[in-house]
Amino acid sequence: MIRISAKLRASLFLASLGALLLAALAGPLTAGAAAPASAAATEQPETVCIQCHSALPDKLGAPVNLWRQSIHAENGISCNGCHGGDPKNADDAMNRSRGFLGAPKEADIPAFCGRCHPGVLKDYLASAHGRALGKGGPTCFTCHGNHQVLKASLDLINEKSCTRCHSFERAKTIRAAMQQTEGYIVGIDRRITGFQAIGVDTDRLGKGLFAVRNRFHTLFHDVDVARVRAESAQINTELAKLDRDLKVIEEARAKRKIAGGIAVAFMLLMAALVLLLKKTYD
Amino acid sequence: MALLKRVYDWIDLRIGAREIVKKELTGYLLPRNINEWYSLGSVLMVIFALQVLTGMLLMVYYVPDAEKAFRSVTFVMNELPYGWLIRLCHAVGSNMMVAVLILHMLSTLMMGSYKSPRELNWVSGFTLFALVQGISLTGYLLPWSQLSFWATTVATNSANAIPVVGPYLVEFLRGGKLVGPPTLGRFFAVHVAVLPVVIAAVIGAHLFLLKRTGISTPPFGSLETKKPWRPDSYSYQHHPGGIPFFPNYALQDLTSICVYFAIFLAVVFFLPNMLFTPDAFVPANAFKTPAHIKPEWYFLANYQTLKIFPSELLGLSIQAAAMTFLALLPFIDRSPERHPLKRPVFLACAIGGILLWIGLSVWGHFS
Repeated sequence: MIRISAKLRASLFLASLGALLLAALAGPLTAGAAAPASAAATEQPETVCIQCHSALPDKLGAPVNLWRQSIHAENGISCNGCHGGDPKNADDAMNRSRGFLGAPKEADIPAFCGRCHPGVLKDYLASAHGRALGKGGPTCFTCHGNHQVLKASLDLINEKSCTRCHSFERAKTIRAAMQQTEGYIVGIDRRITGFQAIGVDTDRLGKGLFAVRNRFHTLFHDVDVARVRAESAQINTELAKLDRDLKVIEEARAKRKIAGGIAVAFMLLMAALVLLLKKTYD
Repeated sequence: MALLKRVYDWIDLRIGAREIVKKELTGYLLPRNINEWYSLGSVLMVIFALQVLTGMLLMVYYVPDAEKAFRSVTFVMNELPYGWLIRLCHAVGSNMMVAVLILHMLSTLMMGSYKSPRELNWVSGFTLFALVQGISLTGYLLPWSQLSFWATTVATNSANAIPVVGPYLVEFLRGGKLVGPPTLGRFFAVHVAVLPVVIAAVIGAHLFLLKRTGISTPPFGSLETKKPWRPDSYSYQHHPGGIPFFPNYALQDLTSICVYFAIFLAVVFFLPNMLFTPDAFVPANAFKTPAHIKPEWYFLANYQTLKIFPSELLGLSIQAAAMTFLALLPFIDRSPERHPLKRPVFLACAIGGILLWIGLSVWGHFS
């Protein structure tokens, strides 16, 4: 006769309760699957500009690949976002009556970019770089690139780039003054994003960081070392407030885990005690 | 103690409490070889009760309005004292209820407890399984997040494959051509007012059937294996010489409930976000379709089945046929043998079916 021992059944039972946990683990599998959603949400259908220029050689085709690696591509800003024209109709893609602008002349570059980045344009024009526009000074493309537009970060202030026009000494001092603040902002941003992804209401913190970051970015085009240092110190004070708020959330969540550990241990202890009590009746 | 005895005597005089306790608890005998799997029914009732309780508490602050639903859930999770705990217990509990229900049904299948004269117990249990999936689906939309909005769009869209009535059915489910505020209204009503009552009623029917036929004997003892209980006319299956429900098996129920709570609380406190994707915390946006929206884990096999067949109608028909087969299994499998190892064809089909379901779910996740 085939028999299944009580011990085997009990083991199977406990294993299946463990499988409950595994079954619940299937949830994060789904979670993982849905994770790239935000990136994909910004994907745009391919425009006629891309379709046509991808097939063209050299100078006419190169911008497409450069653009694909840019912050603009990452955020769904396609060719027509800067150059105008109808991105859905090849006949009107380069039609000036449909807003096509073509490539700007050097002196027009800041205004060209400034249509979407008016604050940065103002900062740039007020800076020594901006004041040298048309007199051999740098334009937006000089540091940020044109089609492979790079995300604004302190990495753009580097010896290789700056020494094309002047010595790196002052730029190095400015960069050092901003370095700590940049790291602070990146760290806080990462923590806020992490909390947001698990349902913590980060609306107020996110808005606070957005304001601080914007203030910090105004320094990116400033070449006044003293002002950069003073502003960075004030911004760091603002960031410290956000840091404190985040620590409160982190501490609350750590306390929850301790409470959870106690609750789970209590339940396991109860299970063991009740099982022992049951054995006394068997 | 004397006071308690006086109170008990007072109640006994009026309602015959001692007689009820003897009949339903201490004198209610269960088979001597009863095992732990039988306690899953009690675990499920505790889960259902907790779902009702947490659901009622959530209703105090939840606003079933497309403009306010997401904000109200965010408020519960972030600002309401212990709101996060109540909400997580409700969300994790719904997944756990499906998981435990699957285990309960698997144990019934393996021990052949669905067989005559317990066909109606199986059918009522299967109905409960469908209803629990329904209440999970309707509850999924209520937070009005990107995840819930688009998962509901995908789920309701499946009905389109049904010939002739499909498009009308989709419109009826959604309350319009697309998922929108009317969908939220009707899903909320079904989730909080219709399905809990129906589930409670079917649980009542399930327990009534259990009480009328008695607990089945596990097919592992020598007595049951030699002489299966198969009455020709209505008969209650007694278990003379069995163990009393109280305190013996009540303590087993309590052990299983404690183990369940340990697992449940571990998920609630340590792994709550494995049930939520980042899209679950972004308000619904009908103009922004996230990529890779997948249904809940227990619908992944159904989702993948629809994808692998060339027509959705064929996929739906195969699923409907499989579900009908499972629902009517006691009427198809008429053999009196209940020991799983003495039913090799059944065992092969059951294991094959489980592996197929797991395989389709994994495929559905990675597809």
